[in-house]
Amino acid sequence: MGESINLAVEAKGISKSFGGVLALDNVNLELRKGEVHALLGENGAGKTTLSNILAGLYRADGGTVLVDGAEREFHSPSQAIEAGIGMVHQHFRLVPPMTVAENLHLGSPDTPAIVSQKKLVASARRMMDEIGLEVDPTARVWQLSVGEQQRVEILRVLARGAKVLILDEPTAVLTAQEAKDLFVVIRRLVAGGRTVVFISHKLNEVIEISDRITVLRGGKHVVTRDAAGATPRELARLMTGEELDNSVEHRTVDGSVVLDLIDVFARNHRGIEALHGVNLQVRSGEILGIAGVSGNGQTELSEVVTGLRRTQSGSISIAGTDVTGGTTRSIAELGVGHIPEDRIGVGMAGSASVKDNAILRHYRSSELSSGTRLKRGSVIDFAKRLVAAGRVQTRSINMPAGQMSGGNQQRLVAKRESMIADRLLVAAHPTRGLDVLATKEVQSAIVERRDNGCAVLMISDDLDEVMLMSDRIAVMYEGRVMGIFDRSQFDRERIGMLMGGQVEGAPS
Amino acid sequence: MSLPFRFARRLEVNNKRSTSYRISGAIAGLVASGLLLLLTSRNPIRLLGQSLDAIFGSQRGIEGVMVQSIPILMCAIGVALSLRMKIWNIGSDGQFLMGAFAAVGVGTKLDVPHWLLIILMALIASIAGAAWILIPALARAYWGVNEIITTLLLNFVALQLVLWSALGFWRDKKSQVTQSTEAVKAVLPRFPGLDSVSISFIVPIVLAVLFWFVFRSTRVGYEIDMIGGNANAAEFAGINVKRRIVTVMLLTGAIAGLGGMLQLTGAPGAQALSGGFSNRFGLSGFIVAALAGASFAGVLVAGLFISAMFYAGIALQTKGLSVYIIFGIYGVVLVGIAVGETMARFRLTRTDPTSAATTTGASA
Repeated sequence: MGESINLAVEAKGISKSFGGVLALDNVNLELRKGEVHALLGENGAGKTTLSNILAGLYRADGGTVLVDGAEREFHSPSQAIEAGIGMVHQHFRLVPPMTVAENLHLGSPDTPAIVSQKKLVASARRMMDEIGLEVDPTARVWQLSVGEQQRVEILRVLARGAKVLILDEPTAVLTAQEAKDLFVVIRRLVAGGRTVVFISHKLNEVIEISDRITVLRGGKHVVTRDAAGATPRELARLMTGEELDNSVEHRTVDGSVVLDLIDVFARNHRGIEALHGVNLQVRSGEILGIAGVSGNGQTELSEVVTGLRRTQSGSISIAGTDVTGGTTRSIAELGVGHIPEDRIGVGMAGSASVKDNAILRHYRSSELSSGTRLKRGSVIDFAKRLVAAGRVQTRSINMPAGQMSGGNQQRLVAKRESMIADRLLVAAHPTRGLDVLATKEVQSAIVERRDNGCAVLMISDDLDEVMLMSDRIAVMYEGRVMGIFDRSQFDRERIGMLMGGQVEGAPS
Repeated sequence: MSLPFRFARRLEVNNKRSTSYRISGAIAGLVASGLLLLLTSRNPIRLLGQSLDAIFGSQRGIEGVMVQSIPILMCAIGVALSLRMKIWNIGSDGQFLMGAFAAVGVGTKLDVPHWLLIILMALIASIAGAAWILIPALARAYWGVNEIITTLLLNFVALQLVLWSALGFWRDKKSQVTQSTEAVKAVLPRFPGLDSVSISFIVPIVLAVLFWFVFRSTRVGYEIDMIGGNANAAEFAGINVKRRIVTVMLLTGAIAGLGGMLQLTGAPGAQALSGGFSNRFGLSGFIVAALAGASFAGVLVAGLFISAMFYAGIALQTKGLSVYIIFGIYGVVLVGIAVGETMARFRLTRTDPTSAATTTGASA
């Protein structure tokens, strides 16, 4: 009996199906008071469905939910909040033009009918003091960083009295530093007796932040265990049900220089200098990884190389051709593929069909067009081939691409860009947001390009990924290359110091 | 709050369904209008009969619809073209007027053979229509200025310019009716076998077929559609988005301008420019293009439908129906079509009592 007093929430035998597909099959979950409990699983494992049931968004087909030992049934999120369960979704539900204080009070039953901005700000300050989280209550939401916006979401849920806070993939949208800040917040919340459910498929951070881990696979409960002593390899096996070979073969190459940047300066979209004299070479058959905290010029680097951004000075050449000031098209025609950081905003048109997106890089080729005409038959064949080769799961190539899952959109863009990358592939955060299996697939595709002699410039703010994939690593800080490491010199600590701008870490 | 049925968004909207829903919407709108007419103790069936009789009862009726449709279709085709790029040209009325204005300048002053005059008028009208959208086009492409406002406001400037010419510098001094310019010297020949329709009727048909083909099977059409889908992605793929925006916008202006010239040289009794030269053809054209969802086959169908309603409205006015009731009927029918268009994106399903909120969160 002592055990059940310690339980904040107990879900027993939860089942749920969507249109005949079983999303959850008889799943049990026990959440203790004062713990961080990770829900781990691949996309489609049932993590979000289970949390949506706890948060009152869905109703289970079967099973019971006990809150503080009493059986509860939720018909809406507000009933779940009343019972003390609140959820912060991956996509924020804030109103950007309104202030933080206004957002915190929006839709709350406690907000009086007539309020002044002053009262709202004062009441927001009180909430923040009670909870122990700070955001400027007078700031407008659009002015905040993603991390701060997330904090407002958390505050909003906690201000309604939530004792159990469900965070749906909270780190997917955060930079490494913001994620660290979030972890501090989470630790403070559980120290105050609250329970945090942490949904993720990033194994290292799950091990770091959680007390206990529940793994779901294909809608079934696989295991619940203590986080202490868990290894990423073991968790990956539990999540995917198979042993993954998570290693990449490396070798030193002395291929010809494909990408050559000499003393490149460029400004960011706000007109502030973002690249300060960057010198870099990427050789045929190697992966050069760019390590760095995001916002230190990596985005601009990928953009100047692919022609999306002008340089202020310096020169860029690809396979001996000077491409400084070249257009995206002329650069792509040299055999350069680009998996852009913002795949949905830049890499594809969500309202256009999968087919139209598939041919975006190839429609000018003689295979797909003759003169000004597009060969409709060849276009369809090509799109089907790309979808099959990229393992893009879609019901039809005529479906709007934006209606596929994020992972499939990413596979589509990654495959399309790999196909034109005969000489150089620029991959910005190629696996961000992907689950373990999809990550492995995209990484294998990049390695396969490299092994075919392509030069790869890979940008990622996940240092583990950079260390795994790269043959050499260049560290960027404030628009400068702080140092370049050969594989034999890889040293997490020295790289980390350089990422923070401390030059003592530089390789000899 | 739980209803036994709810709307679920369809993942795919197929064209056939969308078309049939629009047609059903139009019929529903007509039925609703009929009920409204009943409330004002008029007999809707008889009025419908009279409308159909006015349109289909005689060659004159059918020709009247065709005459009415030419300026509407020209404006609609221009608007549809820009809509493919998600550009909202609200200014086709102004471009239409400026086309007619330039054509009047040439057509009343120049002494050249009539065939040459027609060609010159068509050219200058297209150029004038394009020129009238040049500033909005450049502003939109290079500085991101919203084209809805710029194109809309230029309509009023064009109208004032036309009024000024009709009342002032180009006024027909021989005429007792002092509010128009002189008539142009050359007109288009009649359509073989028809009394009031000129050969200009061919132009919107040819243009619609041409653009249907462009968007179905050419690279340019694909590029324009991709810019409409996501301009960033189009730029990513190396399409010169800015230049393409300017070109397409100029083309839409040129088409509307040419429409002005066709009206001036083709429509019965419209050979001089006056303040009432455009019967809000640009607005009707915009409605047609939006109803058609920027499909060029759809533009032809919707354009002829709206023109028939216009024409029937004119006929009903002679039967003592107030013009406001007629506007009301247009409105109800258009709402019916718009609702049908939206409904085609959804399907009605039985409420699954356990998933009342599936639209607010994706499944894991």
